[in-house]
Amino acid sequence: MVQLRPRASRIPASAMVDEGQPPSEEEEEAEHGLLLGQPSSGAAAEPLEEEDEEGDDELDDEAPEELTFASAQAEAREEERRVRESVRRDKTLLKEKRKRREELFIEQKKRKLLPDNILEKLTTAGPTNIKKPSGKLKEANLQKKKEEYEKGSDSKNAKEKVQKVQSVGQNKSYVALRLKDQDLRDARQQAAKAFIQNSLYGPGTNRTTINKFLSLENKRLPVKKAAAQFLNNAWGTQKKQNAKRFKRRWMVRKMKTSK
Amino acid sequence: MGEFKVHRVRFFNYIPSGIRCVAYNNQSNRLAVSRTDGTVEIYNLSANYFQEKVGCEDGSVKLFQITPDKIQFERNFDRQKSRILSLCWHPSGTHVAAGSIDYISVFDVKSGSAVHKMLVDRQYMGVSKRKCIIWGVAFLSDGTVISVDSAGKVQFWDSATGTLVKNHLIANADVQSIAVSDQEDSFVVGTAEGTVFHFQLVSVTSNSSEKQWVRTKPFQHHTHDVRAVAHSPTALISGGTDTHLVIRPLMEKVEVKNYDAALRKITFPHRRLISCSKKRQLLLFQFTHHLELWRLGSTVATGKNGDTLPLSRNADHLLHLKTKGPENIICSCISPCGSWIAYSTTSRFFLYRLNYEHDNISLQRVSKMPAFLRSALQILFSEDSTKLFVASNQGSLHVIRLLEGSFKHLHTFQPQSGTVESMCLLAVSPDGNWLASSGTSAGVHVYNIKHLKLHCTVPSYNFPVTALAIAPNTNNLVIAHSDQQVFEYSIPDKQYTEWSRTIQKQGFHYLWLQRDTPITHISFHPKRPMHILLHDAYMFCIIDKSLPLPNDKTLLYNPLPPTKESDVIRRRTAHAFKISKIYKPLLFMDLLDERTLVAVERPLDDIIAQLPPPIKKKKFGT
Repeated sequence: MVQLRPRASRIPASAMVDEGQPPSEEEEEAEHGLLLGQPSSGAAAEPLEEEDEEGDDELDDEAPEELTFASAQAEAREEERRVRESVRRDKTLLKEKRKRREELFIEQKKRKLLPDNILEKLTTAGPTNIKKPSGKLKEANLQKKKEEYEKGSDSKNAKEKVQKVQSVGQNKSYVALRLKDQDLRDARQQAAKAFIQNSLYGPGTNRTTINKFLSLENKRLPVKKAAAQFLNNAWGTQKKQNAKRFKRRWMVRKMKTSK
Repeated sequence: MGEFKVHRVRFFNYIPSGIRCVAYNNQSNRLAVSRTDGTVEIYNLSANYFQEKVGCEDGSVKLFQITPDKIQFERNFDRQKSRILSLCWHPSGTHVAAGSIDYISVFDVKSGSAVHKMLVDRQYMGVSKRKCIIWGVAFLSDGTVISVDSAGKVQFWDSATGTLVKNHLIANADVQSIAVSDQEDSFVVGTAEGTVFHFQLVSVTSNSSEKQWVRTKPFQHHTHDVRAVAHSPTALISGGTDTHLVIRPLMEKVEVKNYDAALRKITFPHRRLISCSKKRQLLLFQFTHHLELWRLGSTVATGKNGDTLPLSRNADHLLHLKTKGPENIICSCISPCGSWIAYSTTSRFFLYRLNYEHDNISLQRVSKMPAFLRSALQILFSEDSTKLFVASNQGSLHVIRLLEGSFKHLHTFQPQSGTVESMCLLAVSPDGNWLASSGTSAGVHVYNIKHLKLHCTVPSYNFPVTALAIAPNTNNLVIAHSDQQVFEYSIPDKQYTEWSRTIQKQGFHYLWLQRDTPITHISFHPKRPMHILLHDAYMFCIIDKSLPLPNDKTLLYNPLPPTKESDVIRRRTAHAFKISKIYKPLLFMDLLDERTLVAVERPLDDIIAQLPPPIKKKKFGT
């Protein structure tokens, strides 16, 4: 007679109904093992690592348990439902967590913004004056809602204007500036300066050092003289000082290590 | 004259900044020069090329990218592709020529659209990988557009048809600036090699009415790029990276051919950047963004005339004081006792107290300056260092008493009649009673400090004052003007002194009047009341009032009288003006005590050594 040996370690592929989540899988497997009729007590309850031959004899007289299809089906369905429940619970928990986090962020963002009344005034005032800002403005660090201003500024972006929104509250002692425009302007200024520098002194220009320029005369004299940087004692004093300092430090270091 | 030990100071690392832009105003005959560190200087060309005003902005270099600020030009999308580097209006205001990279566009102002786009060759008769940048354009009233570019070409375009009329290759490097005269018959261009070319409209043959543009004169007065040129009715003005301002009068336009028609080269500032504390032998150097305090070295050796004595203790760099913020320093001063330093920028005033213990020095800032003390044109401490005089840029003069760690405002002299001048000089008498100020066009005002009221006013003179000082004991006010006239006015007597009247009647020696740098400092010997020590950039002079005055026939610049010469000859050639040109270029010279002088020189080589690189010049044999 063929002995049905319970093998709880085998993964039952076909009996799986769910997505295959590990916890439910193990659960099912364990139950499956039980369904196969592993007795909970008795000599057959010994660990499965034992030799097959020994267990065979004891299980000889017992007939395998009868298992109807209906009960197995019910069990499986029960299993599925439990698994589905647990998944749903997990999902809702996660959703709640996320919602709470979002709310926290909104709260923090709101705290950073200016009070509502000032923002209202700014949005209703709109971009009234368009002129370059004077140097003595107090720039408030704003984090405005960017959508409205984006639309307005993109069309006028090429003109490099700074949208200055005036009339903020009763005390008109300061004017609000968008930092984004200031950054843009600075970047363009830097780019322009770099362009001029590059075209005048960059690669491709025929430039030479001051030393070479002043030494040209010395080279053509009937009695040739040395270059200007060697004749003039005041040349490169900073470099000479640095070199002296470096030498002193190097000597000290050498002394220390050689000891 | 006496024997002096001279401290020869050459560690003032003064580097003027390069000239970026020059503009000439015909009505007032003034020239405005802007430098790369943001300072704007105004030169009065009719007052012997005197540098009237040095204004300081916030130190930012102007944006080089020029985009038209009119809404009409938005329609032209070419504008976005490459930068516009030069612009010029048509004299009638109907068109604008804009030079960009590799092309020039002519715009019609009303419609805002580009009428013509003229493409510029990258190289004269050839191709090149490097883009051609149009550095300058000029629009003449007959519709000709003149462009100068980085390939060294000067091109004439016809704006009606948008075509090239004439092409001149004048240099191997960039041509960076162009200026047209008012009559539009000549213009001047400056190149990166330092050469300035003059173009003129001359007739083809002597009788024909047809004219053409011809390159007439080259001038090589600069070593570095010439970034800005201007054309006045009689002179060509150029300035560039080598920091000189060169004014070249045109011979054919000048009516009177005298010394005025010579070349003028302005390198050094026409005002003092150095102040001295005599008691402690300290020098305060003023730079654009920081101040340096140095102590002079000392020697124990003695020698005879002409020797160089070895230093037993080197000059010491005591303090390096940086300003907060981007603004430039306008004026600064150190008190004679060496315990106070004050300086001013365009919007703030700073006062510091110095403490010396043994060899250490500590600095303390005096905070909470009063509100009226904003921007000062000139600062001066009294001789006993108890009072501070500040001339503000509104014309008022403040007197402040200095206490141990604080100050007390004593009085403010409001601006007197006459327009407020842009430059103001102050002088205080050593006994502390009188204060002279040259801030208004009504003349030099003298105030009585003990009674805090105006004492008298020296009659005004049509040339600006360049230096002011009050002599000890005699209380004579010595004034030097930009046309090299020197006046002496007695404050207690309220009139010019005898000596001053004599020299005005006789007139100064013609060589004295032909000097081209103004006198920037006057000082006196404590034991010799007949001596006045003054200096300009290339000489220093001791005027001995007891000796006879020279007339035009005598030799002004006497060499040192050799002792071998007989007494008779020496007596015959001796005159009041003892001039020495040993130390030059001089930025400052003063008497430290009875036997010591200090002379601060700034050799031109040291300035050149720290300039940006020039264009390479290929010479045969090197």
